[in-house]
Amino acid sequence: MDLENQERVKSLAEKHGPENLVVILGGAEAEASGLTAETVTVGDPAYAGPLAGVSLGLPVFHIVEPEIKEQVDPEVYEEQIAMMEMVLEVDDICEEVKNYREQGSKYLG
Amino acid sequence: MVHVATVVPISETVGANKIVPAVAIPYPLGNPDMPPDEEQRLRRRLVEKSIEALTTAVEEQTVFDS
Amino acid sequence: MNRAQSTSADQRSLKKLRVVHYLNQFFGQVGGEEKAGMGPEVREGVVGPGMAFAKQLGEAAEIVATVICGDNYFGEQVDEAGAEVLKLIQKYKPDLVIAGPAFNAGRYGVACGAVAQRVTEALDLPVITGMYPENPGVEIYRRFAYVIETGNSAAAMRTAVPAMAALVKKFAAGAAIGGPEEEGYIPRGIRKNFFHQERGARRAVGILTKKLKGEEFVTEYPMPNFDRVDIAEPLSKVEDATIALVTSGGIVPRGNPDRIESSSASKYGRYSLKGVEDLTAETHETAHGGYDPVYANDDPDRVLPVDVLRELEKEGAIGRLHPYYYSTVGNGTSVANAKKYASEIAAELVNEGVQAVILTST
Repeated sequence: MDLENQERVKSLAEKHGPENLVVILGGAEAEASGLTAETVTVGDPAYAGPLAGVSLGLPVFHIVEPEIKEQVDPEVYEEQIAMMEMVLEVDDICEEVKNYREQGSKYLG
Repeated sequence: MVHVATVVPISETVGANKIVPAVAIPYPLGNPDMPPDEEQRLRRRLVEKSIEALTTAVEEQTVFDS
Repeated sequence: MNRAQSTSADQRSLKKLRVVHYLNQFFGQVGGEEKAGMGPEVREGVVGPGMAFAKQLGEAAEIVATVICGDNYFGEQVDEAGAEVLKLIQKYKPDLVIAGPAFNAGRYGVACGAVAQRVTEALDLPVITGMYPENPGVEIYRRFAYVIETGNSAAAMRTAVPAMAALVKKFAAGAAIGGPEEEGYIPRGIRKNFFHQERGARRAVGILTKKLKGEEFVTEYPMPNFDRVDIAEPLSKVEDATIALVTSGGIVPRGNPDRIESSSASKYGRYSLKGVEDLTAETHETAHGGYDPVYANDDPDRVLPVDVLRELEKEGAIGRLHPYYYSTVGNGTSVANAKKYASEIAAELVNEGVQAVILTST
């Protein structure tokens, strides 16, 4: 996750409280999605940005994960995501993000 | 061939035989801090140095400094 | 030779190794490319990846200070920057220096390596860094540092830090440092003599026998790979010559029609200069993601000097500027791909009667 976005997430967490935020990812790759999930839970694994060593513990999901997908109006999902979903490694993405969420998200209740 | 590059050690390590040191990484043949005509003259000097390098016989890797 | 090894074991276990950490502007939490021109600065304690090192090092070592320097500042004046950084490091009287890890970042790798050379030569201290094997810093400086082999991007921080820290801990413990395979560093090109149980003649015959039988064998002395290029004949009649421009600085027609990637380019482009006297912000741009693009976008002649070549052509100083230029992005480009593009480009240029090339890099 680039430096500016790390700063934005950090500010939002400070402003609203981490227990009041959810991060939804839309990236196309499993590894990149995993790194972003790690960044907003336990901290920037590259130790490059504002979230280096900062564990926000935010709940993080990917838009293609069932928990999120089923909350979206099917027509809207069809229009916005369905085409992209066909070319993504959906299972890999879900597994990566779920992994980091289970390890590092604190506010899942 | 002549290599116009800023980090001369990198150029040397990949085997360039004729190297012209550039101004800076984001502007190898320019300088935004100069007024336009001065910058133009700077670029011309570097290109002329490159041409000079092309026409010069060398026995080993050579850096063509000013 | 290093001070850690010369202290007795009892004193060793009481004394924490003092470490200074070298970082670039990005990992040093200062900024991205727009800050690459910053001069060397010091921070007390750990910054960025230093936090990860501290966790791994525990009681064995302490990062007492971090020196941060911009990659462009260093790359544009390697000697001066090296001297300045050395001065800052010296003040803290460290026992060891950690640099980076730089992964595949070329300028950063060169900076880490140059720092390693300074520290080794002036202070005789061990320097531990981490790089992807293709990082130019490896080839230039590997004998001055222990370059732990890493993956090619910051995503590999999670494996690079423990590997580098493990080696630091060995120095802290005064333990003997093993060879490259054992410790995970890239071979330094330093030969250490030792007595082998079996005599040389026997070992040589053993290897030969395996080779003759078609069995696998391990050489005792890998031949060094000298990346040298045959020197070309100088250009004789420059006023008749066709000169071509090639760049790794990523200059492409506005809109990047071929979608050359900003990093790890999978292709190069061949673009027409017919009727083009000058590159402008309207006509061209840079696709390169490894340097601040604002200056090249403002005036692409700063990377690909078409304007000057056209002037020289008009004046008759050169025969002509070849009507096509070639461009790719030299940011994290694999050596294999770079070689491939170069041989294809060279073949085309030779075929089209080009006599000389000016290659520009950022």
